[in-house]
Amino acid sequence: MNQSARPDRGQRPYLDVVSVGKAFKGTTVMSGLDFRVAQGELVSLLGPSGCGKTTLLRIIAGLTGADSGDVVLDGRNISSLPAHKRNISVVFQSYALFPHLSVAENVAFGLRARGVAKSDTGPSVTESLDLVRMSDFADRPVAALSGGQQQRVAVARALIVNPVLLLLDEPFSALDRKLRETMQVELKSLLRDRNMTAIFVTHDQEEAMGVSDRIAVMNAGQIEQFAAPSELYARPKTAFVMDFVGLSTRLAGRVRHIQAGQMQIETAHGALTANGTLPVGTHVTIGVRPELISPEAGENTVQVTLTDAMVLGSKTLLHGAATEPDKLICELPGMRAGLSRGDAVTFGWSIADTLVYEATP
Amino acid sequence: MTLRAERIGLLALPGLSFLAIIYALPLFMLLLKSVQIDGQFSLAEYQLFFADEFNRAVLWRTIRVALLTTLLALAIAYPTAIAMARAKGIWLSIFLVAMVLPMSVGVIVKAFAWTIIFRTRGVLNDVLMSFGITDTPVRMLFTETALIIGAANVFLPFMVLPIYAVLRQMDTRLPEAAASLGATPAFRFLNVTLPLSLPGVVAGSAFTFSLAISMYVIPSLIVGERQQTLSMLTARSFLYLRDEALGATISSILLAIAISVVLVSSWLAARLGARQ
Repeated sequence: MNQSARPDRGQRPYLDVVSVGKAFKGTTVMSGLDFRVAQGELVSLLGPSGCGKTTLLRIIAGLTGADSGDVVLDGRNISSLPAHKRNISVVFQSYALFPHLSVAENVAFGLRARGVAKSDTGPSVTESLDLVRMSDFADRPVAALSGGQQQRVAVARALIVNPVLLLLDEPFSALDRKLRETMQVELKSLLRDRNMTAIFVTHDQEEAMGVSDRIAVMNAGQIEQFAAPSELYARPKTAFVMDFVGLSTRLAGRVRHIQAGQMQIETAHGALTANGTLPVGTHVTIGVRPELISPEAGENTVQVTLTDAMVLGSKTLLHGAATEPDKLICELPGMRAGLSRGDAVTFGWSIADTLVYEATP
Repeated sequence: MTLRAERIGLLALPGLSFLAIIYALPLFMLLLKSVQIDGQFSLAEYQLFFADEFNRAVLWRTIRVALLTTLLALAIAYPTAIAMARAKGIWLSIFLVAMVLPMSVGVIVKAFAWTIIFRTRGVLNDVLMSFGITDTPVRMLFTETALIIGAANVFLPFMVLPIYAVLRQMDTRLPEAAASLGATPAFRFLNVTLPLSLPGVVAGSAFTFSLAISMYVIPSLIVGERQQTLSMLTARSFLYLRDEALGATISSILLAIAISVVLVSSWLAARLGARQ
């Protein structure tokens, strides 16, 4: 595969999930869901538990049947194909390694399932284990491995069969934070090298932003926004996406009047200005990313009493007093000593950085 | 830690003393009788036992019946256990009740029920003849086949439940992972489900074999005196022949078979467990 051939997003989709619906015991999990992925893309399904992201993954894998809709892969409708005929590998949450088999036997499983004789799997298994740097562990039982090692084996086992698509269900959630970051970098470069198309399911937005070209944020069985991480962070389409991806200062308010494409919005912390023309009287949610706020007056200004100043090393987080669901958060680069609870501070930011969403009742 | 563990160990004391006084001690005294003649150690009783062709035939029949009963029970139990492991809600309850309830029916009642089916003018023969499979009634009662079918029926729960327990615990994502790696249903069963369920198969087989080798009521009622088993021989020695030494000898042989089955199965279970 040509390494430089990064997928063109406008091209015919490689994976095309068309209008998929699924209900469990009468409860609709998703309906009419569309989802398209280009070849070689690394994509995340991000959302809270119960949003349907794992169900969507299982429908793509063929482990769960959809009630309606189609799954088309590389131009071929695979909706009615059983899982074992799809050549889609899955890395499960706690890896689902076969406990009765050694590391090498686990990795060889997919080849043996394809009728390769046990004695002929050796070279491929060695190559796959080399890829994830687990060759020294080939003869170990899998129970003797650490979480990170198990994940490597699960990845080697999934990739040895050259799948047309790799699905990963919360692949990092069983690892501690440090290891998680290392494994993310490692796995991402491994998948890039092989130009593998992969879909990650995760509830961790940092993980999603770290590993993927695009993120589909899911909520209640719907994809709220499907975009590159930077786009998702800078221009969240809905208040849900804004809340779920990254921190934000958010204030509930009401449009008081409109003038020259700008709205005057009344909040519990004073009047604020934002771009847009929602009708007067509309209840809205205002959002600002905390690093876009500075501790001085701006086009929009709010007077804040600090409830906490958290010095986190590379950054300092200022939390202002606010009543739920309002939140006042400002992020300053570096360590800022000398600010503490009870201090009066000004939060200021620009109109362009002010996000507005119609409030959901 | 150790102190705590020791104290917790004390909880087993009442049970252990109960077993020791009521079971182990008398059993030991009984077994002693098989190796003693006039207060002297002797294996003469065993030589005598094995010298008799009739006894050897009974021993072989007992082992054969127990083995075949175990195999038949396993063949019926395994698919049942799979169905149970996948059952949910009301179906699981029905399965469990169906497994446990028959245990509360006395084995005598069950054995008599089998005689209704197996006898010359019984249900099974009526069915066979009405389908024209046979013209004259087949003799089934008092045969080894009837005994094996009856015994497998009575001991079925002891085979099903351990296999069910192991299958129920199995991570359902393992077969799914196998499927995503291209394994057909048959390949998944042979390479994932079956090997992982072996500890349950070993436990269930050990239970069933132990029960089948020492069963007394079922063979007494289904095959009668015509084809003796070791248990029947033991009872006869004690009750009719009043030969305590012979009875003790046969009991010891039965016990030795049972103990070796337990040892082999726990060794197998440990070996299977070590790989997981």
